[in-house]
Amino acid sequence: MSSASSMTPILFAEIARRSVRRHFAYRAAAVAGLVTNVFFGLLRASVLLALLGDRGSVDGLDAKALVTYTGLTQAMITYLSIFGWYDLMNTVSRGEVASDLLRPVSFLGFWLAQDVGRAVAGLVLRGATLMAIYALLFDIFVPTDLRAWAALLLSLGLALLVSFGFRFLVNLAAFWSPDARGIGRFAFTLGMFLSGFLMPLRFFPEWLQTAAKFTPFPSMLNTPVEVYLGVLKGRDLTLALLTQALWAAALLLLARLVLSRATRKLVLQGG
Amino acid sequence: MRHAWSTYRRLIGAQVRSQLQYRVSFALDVLSTMMFTATEFGAFALVLNRFGSVGGWSLGEVAFLYGLVEISFASMDMLFGGFDAPSFGQQIRKGTLDQLLLRPVSLTLQVFGSDFALRRLGRVASGVVVFGFALALSPIDWTLFKVLYLPLVALGMILFFGGVFVIGGTLTFWTVEGTEAVNVLTYGGSNLIVYPMSIYEEWLRRLFTFVIPAAFLNYYPALYFLDKPDPFGLPEFASFVAPLAGGLVFLAALLFWRFGLKHYQSTGT
Repeated sequence: MSSASSMTPILFAEIARRSVRRHFAYRAAAVAGLVTNVFFGLLRASVLLALLGDRGSVDGLDAKALVTYTGLTQAMITYLSIFGWYDLMNTVSRGEVASDLLRPVSFLGFWLAQDVGRAVAGLVLRGATLMAIYALLFDIFVPTDLRAWAALLLSLGLALLVSFGFRFLVNLAAFWSPDARGIGRFAFTLGMFLSGFLMPLRFFPEWLQTAAKFTPFPSMLNTPVEVYLGVLKGRDLTLALLTQALWAAALLLLARLVLSRATRKLVLQGG
Repeated sequence: MRHAWSTYRRLIGAQVRSQLQYRVSFALDVLSTMMFTATEFGAFALVLNRFGSVGGWSLGEVAFLYGLVEISFASMDMLFGGFDAPSFGQQIRKGTLDQLLLRPVSLTLQVFGSDFALRRLGRVASGVVVFGFALALSPIDWTLFKVLYLPLVALGMILFFGGVFVIGGTLTFWTVEGTEAVNVLTYGGSNLIVYPMSIYEEWLRRLFTFVIPAAFLNYYPALYFLDKPDPFGLPEFASFVAPLAGGLVFLAALLFWRFGLKHYQSTGT
């Protein structure tokens, strides 16, 4: 079944497009969510500005960059499903996964296409709108040259792949454990911490920054944020994007491997 | 009254038993709720350590604010979970609320006892740890009054946030979508008051002091317990209105709930 080749770009695009449309349908919820996202961004900006005090900048981040950071992290909550994602897990526990696996398309590709659609809807409805509101409320940083925007787009795309690979793997736990939701909560909480969502990773002690570097989490959020803020330049920028690409490839490969084990198990059980 | 209490106990008891059925699952859930607090406060503490203080407050002093909110909010979440807009809205959508209406027991009591998540004890425990940390770092000059007043401050917060949960739940009688905005008051409000009010811009501070009385729940009591001066020059009794502010919000919420119930029409599903 796991013939990943059996998915054409056209099919992928069609699944993604429908997913976008489905997520655009919940407009009232999006507005309410946006209000909450902006409010939390405001609180987090207040805390960081109070910490900064009258120092001009710390580790290359000044007041303007810090306020922008709080906007960006809030803007990416929906895009990267930072608070958690249990969609695949739910189809496993409801038993729907059996018929999904029978589809003549790659299972991983099918979910990736859906997630790309979900993420794009989130990026437009929540992300871009939130940054626009932020620009009205605060003096935020906006990249000006085209190359910076290109790097940002690339970094955002890679971040989604890394995030998807990680979330997909966490969800696969449902094939083995009835406690998968607890495992998920644990994993996503760890992700929030080590991706730089709670506080800029640069502000953490050296040892913790080093530890975080051995995980894929900084590649999900910290890298696109630093690319946007322009604190990564030249070689550092290339290296950061390369790291993202490597984590994306590694996690997606691992996801395929674990998925094939999971489906074999399902067949054995006559699922 | 005694009948109501025994009904409530049975409602909760059944849920607790079922949640303890899968020990490993339960342990993991408790662990992840504890981890949530540990990483959130941990991230702040690690960064504050580098910066020294925030708005003139030391780590131990902020831990006092944070720990007390964590204990109160998590207890409230456990008690009032049934009223939380997402879970209550689901009951309306699925029509299970209509089933509850048919039973010969007070609906309010049933909703009150409908979503008791024992795993939230994990968050209460983390709150206790952070609060202990605060007491170790910023010792308090204990008096008998302070010992008696501390639980009342927690009670004030429980009533306040419980009230906001009830208001959010009531709103789902009219609109299921859009109630996420109530999160600004619940999760947003509790997040706001874990930091000293002096770090906020004036409009925000005034809003959460005079319109929504959140500052009286935690910040002003903390000034009293930690012997800190009030930079905004409010009269001294500002530190002692926490239970009253919480109680009033809770009372208003109950009246709103009654009003909502009276106007409730089933979706017919």
